[in-house]
Amino acid sequence: MSLWIDSLLAVLAVFLAVRCLLAPTLPQCVFLFFAFGLTLALAWARLGAVDVAIAEAAIAAGFLGVLLIDALRDFSRSRSTGEGGDRPSRVSQGLVGAGVLVFLVVAIEAVWRVPNGGGLTALAADNLPQSGVDHPVTAVLLNYRSYDTWLEVGVVLMALLALFATGGREYFCRPVVRAVDPLLRQVILLFTPVLFLVGAFLLYLGKTEPGGAFQAAVLWGAGGILLHLGGWPVFASMAPWLRHLLLTAGFGFFLLLGFLFMAGGGALFEYPLAQAGLLILVVETLAALSIAAALTAIFAYFNGMSAESAEPFTPASS
Amino acid sequence: MTDLPASPLVALLVGVPIAFALVSLFFRTEGRARTGLLGSLGTTALAFPAILEVARKGTVIHLLGGWAPPLGILLRLDPLAAVFIGMTALVGGVISLYAWWYFRKEATAGGTSALFWPLWLFLWAGLNGLFLSNDLFNLFVTIEVVGICAVALAVLSGKAASLIAGLRYLLAAIAGSMGYLFGVALLYGSTGTLDITLLGAALTPGPATTFALIVMTLGLMIKTACFPLHFWLPPAHAAALPPVSALLSALVVKGTFYILLRLWTEVFGVSLTFAAGQLIGVAGAVAVLWGSWQALMQDRLKLIVAHSSVAQLGYLLMVFPLIVLAPGVAAESANWLSPAWTAAVYQVMAHGFAKASFFLSAGIIVIALGHDRKSSLRDLVARLPMTAMAIAVAGVSLIGLPPSGGFFAKWMLLKGIFMSEQWWWAPAVLGGSFLTAGYVFMILRLAFAPAEAGQPVRPVPKALQVCALVLAIGSFLIVLPADHIIQFLESTAPFATGVETYPEGGRHGND
Amino acid sequence: METYQIYSLASAVIFAVGLAGIFTTRLFFKKIIATKIMGGGVFLCFVSFAERDALAFADPVPHAMVITGIVVAVSAAAFALALARRIQQLTGQETFPVEEE
Repeated sequence: MSLWIDSLLAVLAVFLAVRCLLAPTLPQCVFLFFAFGLTLALAWARLGAVDVAIAEAAIAAGFLGVLLIDALRDFSRSRSTGEGGDRPSRVSQGLVGAGVLVFLVVAIEAVWRVPNGGGLTALAADNLPQSGVDHPVTAVLLNYRSYDTWLEVGVVLMALLALFATGGREYFCRPVVRAVDPLLRQVILLFTPVLFLVGAFLLYLGKTEPGGAFQAAVLWGAGGILLHLGGWPVFASMAPWLRHLLLTAGFGFFLLLGFLFMAGGGALFEYPLAQAGLLILVVETLAALSIAAALTAIFAYFNGMSAESAEPFTPASS
Repeated sequence: MTDLPASPLVALLVGVPIAFALVSLFFRTEGRARTGLLGSLGTTALAFPAILEVARKGTVIHLLGGWAPPLGILLRLDPLAAVFIGMTALVGGVISLYAWWYFRKEATAGGTSALFWPLWLFLWAGLNGLFLSNDLFNLFVTIEVVGICAVALAVLSGKAASLIAGLRYLLAAIAGSMGYLFGVALLYGSTGTLDITLLGAALTPGPATTFALIVMTLGLMIKTACFPLHFWLPPAHAAALPPVSALLSALVVKGTFYILLRLWTEVFGVSLTFAAGQLIGVAGAVAVLWGSWQALMQDRLKLIVAHSSVAQLGYLLMVFPLIVLAPGVAAESANWLSPAWTAAVYQVMAHGFAKASFFLSAGIIVIALGHDRKSSLRDLVARLPMTAMAIAVAGVSLIGLPPSGGFFAKWMLLKGIFMSEQWWWAPAVLGGSFLTAGYVFMILRLAFAPAEAGQPVRPVPKALQVCALVLAIGSFLIVLPADHIIQFLESTAPFATGVETYPEGGRHGND
Repeated sequence: METYQIYSLASAVIFAVGLAGIFTTRLFFKKIIATKIMGGGVFLCFVSFAERDALAFADPVPHAMVITGIVVAVSAAAFALALARRIQQLTGQETFPVEEE
């Protein structure tokens, strides 16, 4: 029975991926991509990866989905992908098809016959008492492999800088001033604290159960995005130093702490066992804040891009 | 592996540039440039004690978080990594100085310089992290850091052409890293470890290993712009701002080449065949000829230089058929390994210095004349003598004329080719040099030709020209310590023995 | 057939679908989505191995790697999307110009 459910999910995921890429219009493409993401999240929940399922649903389907929908406004062909005229020739399509087919056969054989390496489950479990947290995924993310996580917090900040680079200058967008429904504003005001509380709860939960910095960050980021949409320019009205402090706090404090331990004779990111739990919580909170700030700023930038047709923004190309 | 001497310097090589980048974000344009330059020079300075440490103690490591592999991530600074880090430090340092003066001169570019400095420092930290990492997944994160920052820098000019080239670059980079990551997933599934050293010992041949080898190699080849996956490089490198073109061509593509080298020599020993090495060699040989020919056909200086990068990267790939041994050949008897490795390392360094210099010179010409069409080169010797000199010197190194670093690299490559009796690679090496000579001499001929009258020449700060010249001369100076560098490298296991497997490392966590 | 094998097979297929998508579609927008689909395939592969290696709980290391990978991939996709939009606004193009070479 359970094999059937899994097979169905797997087939559905493949089907949605194909349909998504063959979708005749861009909005359809985006919605099928949503569906694909949610199917993957379900598959991950089935595979016992609840943290990953939450991360996928929240960041990959949720946040990226919002960006994709926002981007749809720009693409004139969104009604139809209209690829008929400039499709690649049949010969090259045939070549690509044949190549991918060969690739698929080799890939399936490889995946089918992967030797069982045994993974690191036992090792991760054995060292859990020394990690300062009780949830194994959090232990990997913030202790065993905290270096990766640190770089990843940085990548979100770099993506924001990269976004600025496309326009040639640093630019925190103000929301478009248009009549926002007062009722909507009230609802947003009501919802924001709830989002923050639920985020904080998820963050704290990460110590023992699925949840943690990234999931919390998305909820906080969602709060920031709602405020932005409601006409409160979260970033644009902030003092620049505060804005930068928020954006860099996670990445920077993480590093500062690492340097401190190193000065004390340890390795980078080597937490003393007694304080590990507390320090991890602090690092997680700051990382979540920074990611949420970066996500809000990324969304604001996207939102500002589409508003530019009304109020042209001149990129600094000399 | 884990009982090697530990050193905090290893972690600082990644941490320090990031710390400076973060601090710089708090400043406005002027202060940001100052912090950025300070951070760049600091990172350059940091490379020296790190290299000395390796020279004294041999390979040094850093167990991040105090966790040993396979659970934790190990940073390893061995002589090969030290040479790459040293090259990045020297070339990156001079490019930073150039960028400092370039952005002061081109102040019209608005906020560009404010974004350049933090992105460049993040990129540098990513590169250092890449050279140091001994963990396959961590390598994925570092190539993403490098990829995102590199594309962001490439589009900094904000012009449509650079944005289009940047998107093409970014999509190729993302697809490449996804291929790489798929391989990582399969390797982790088959061995339960991500550590390069442990993997080399634990990996068994089979379809999964072979497939991982194929997707990871292809993924990294896209990112290194190896023929025939080089399509994104020329437009992206040619459309970027001059200091950015220089660091993209000289440093960024070397990062993924380095991973490729590590994977082939330290991880995939069991599933490599002689034919696989030959295949990569063919890609390299075609790249050398095709890239040089394309360079000859271009009519803009930056495009010539960018296509030349495709060719020069091809030489790097031609090392692979030499270090993958034919069945039945023992590594001890393969006396061509040392020249082959020397060729790889020297080609990386010589191309790094010479190509950076070339792009910086192209930038100077654009400042002076407003464009970089071939006609801009006319009468260069009289107009910008120092830049003409830099181009000539860097060009000689690219061709591979003695006594340049490029000559030494190509000479060693030929030596390795003949010692291993794979003479069929020799025509490509020589042909590439002839074609390179073709476009370099074409540039020089124009430099001596009289200019059309009435073309105003804007003044260019001397400092910019000095930076380009220093790098060009650097591509010669690297030959002087050749003996020391080779000796230094020979203490690394892979350097002397080709495809190499390690004894089983410690498989324990923290105590 | 084990549960994990269903998903690891699906992961190879999804990766290939994404790969084909990059080549066959010319729109920036769809190319970006195709890379995300490739990523989905890779992550599914990691997680399926985590389930195979489960003891009391599934192998946490691939889970952590996938969470890191998702965030990194979304960051890169957001950047690509911004580039595509900027190009569209500056030039009106939604596809790469036909190869000059």
